[in-house]
Amino acid sequence: MGISLSLLKRTAVEVETFVQRLDGRVKFLYFIWASILVYIFYDFILNLIFIIVTLLLAIYARVAKPIAMTLLVIIVPWIAIATPILSLPLGFPWNKTIIYYIKFAGYEIPVYLEGLGWGITWPLRIGVCISTAMLFYLTTNQARLVATMFKMKVPFRFIYMLIATFQLIPLLVDEANTIFQAQLSRGLRTDVGIIKKLYYYLALVIPLTLSALNRVQIRAIALESRGFSAPVTKTLMYEAEFKWMDWIFLSTIIVATIVLAYVYITYGYSPIAGLEYIWG
Amino acid sequence: MGEAVVKVENLTYSYPRRENVLVNVSFEVKKGEVLGIIGPNGAGKSTLCKALNGLVPHFYGGRIGGKVVVAGMDTMKHTVAELSTKVGLVFQDPEDQMSGLALTVYEEVAFGLMMLGFPREEIDARVRDAIKKVGLGGLEGRSPFELSGGQMQRLAIATVLAIKPEILVLDEPTAQLDPIGKFEVFSVIKKLAEEGSTIVVVEHEIEELATFADNILLLDEGRVRAYGSAREVLEKVDQLRKYGVDPPSVTELTYILNKEVGTDFEIPITIEEAYKIYAEALGVS
Repeated sequence: MGISLSLLKRTAVEVETFVQRLDGRVKFLYFIWASILVYIFYDFILNLIFIIVTLLLAIYARVAKPIAMTLLVIIVPWIAIATPILSLPLGFPWNKTIIYYIKFAGYEIPVYLEGLGWGITWPLRIGVCISTAMLFYLTTNQARLVATMFKMKVPFRFIYMLIATFQLIPLLVDEANTIFQAQLSRGLRTDVGIIKKLYYYLALVIPLTLSALNRVQIRAIALESRGFSAPVTKTLMYEAEFKWMDWIFLSTIIVATIVLAYVYITYGYSPIAGLEYIWG
Repeated sequence: MGEAVVKVENLTYSYPRRENVLVNVSFEVKKGEVLGIIGPNGAGKSTLCKALNGLVPHFYGGRIGGKVVVAGMDTMKHTVAELSTKVGLVFQDPEDQMSGLALTVYEEVAFGLMMLGFPREEIDARVRDAIKKVGLGGLEGRSPFELSGGQMQRLAIATVLAIKPEILVLDEPTAQLDPIGKFEVFSVIKKLAEEGSTIVVVEHEIEELATFADNILLLDEGRVRAYGSAREVLEKVDQLRKYGVDPPSVTELTYILNKEVGTDFEIPITIEEAYKIYAEALGVS
């Protein structure tokens, strides 16, 4: 069994903290709620607070590592690249407030607040979306995930499509590895420049596509043979229902929404960082 | 043996892009009977299996002639979903049988029942029973992808058994397995056969098939070349060879001895029979 295939062993961490026990709908709501709020506000400190709260929940639920790693791989490099480009006089059209001068080779290079704020806020907004979505996915057991979506009246075919997609990715990675090894054995060169390497990697695309199509057809046959399209109400082994903990979490979200609405009305869209709004 | 559960009459089928995959195939399987289907690659064995649960033609399309009646249901008049409660199809590669929605052995076995809308209590009872039948007790919480090949194929059989179909169709269930896996799967099939299940099995392992099949159907180029009791079909060594099928070793050995050396042994089809015949001939008890 390949490394990627072993991902299929568990898609949700099987520990039982209150985060895992929370109803999937509540965690999904937290993901949507946080993602919308960080777009309404334009404040990277508020975004950071959301990320920290999410990471604290993730640490408690023992799923912090994959979330932190994802943030490190996507968000940190993004900030590291975007902020210098946007905050230095390199053409970001909304730059006007100079907050600092960097002395370099006898020149004084200005650093602009607008570019800096934009370069930090946007990646952190995405970071909030990613971390809350991952918290939802990694702490919701697949059976509960299905039951949650079923309860939310999501058509079963769509639920299946979504879950199967998550499962198909590691299977395809495994398949790609096998095809890659086969092509290597047949003389595929890897000791070449990046452009040539990309060109050679095209050799993987056709067999992988065919293999994926074949797999999809076989999966469809297997499902059909097991009554997937039977015109009956499906039985789920897990029933999604709200418990007191869900109500408490939901109440916290409602209270936080009221507080943030008050903050927005009183202090505006950037209550802590005090940024001036630019598009986005 | 009871009444016929499977009746195939003059079945002729062409895929949309492949002509005459099955030509005038006729046979029947009685309740509690085990029918083995043998033949070279490309003979139409898998297509025949798929015709039994309606995948052919409902899923694949193509042109079909003749009649397939399974458990009293004409496969042309019923959907695959309806037929899935009557015919359980086990695929060659057990991974193909996995739903992609279950994280544990238990959930995988429960999947089909969930899709068919069985009550939760009944699902639980049937799943536990099916898992026990295939000898996977204790592995309920394990991921299907952590199982060995043999265990995974037994799981695939359990997923079908849970639905309690009237006919179990196994399409080369041991083709992808190592010797231990093959042994595990054959043990389950033999047990099911002894318990009186109605089974149609496509198998290349003729020696194993000979030990539990009541009847055998030899298929080649979509046509039935031989059909009868296991003995009637397997003892015709020349015919098997002609169609690219290896007869059981003991059958072939005895056939050659009779033909070349002039002995007059009864033709055995299993090792047990051969042992008895040769022990008698050699005067060994």
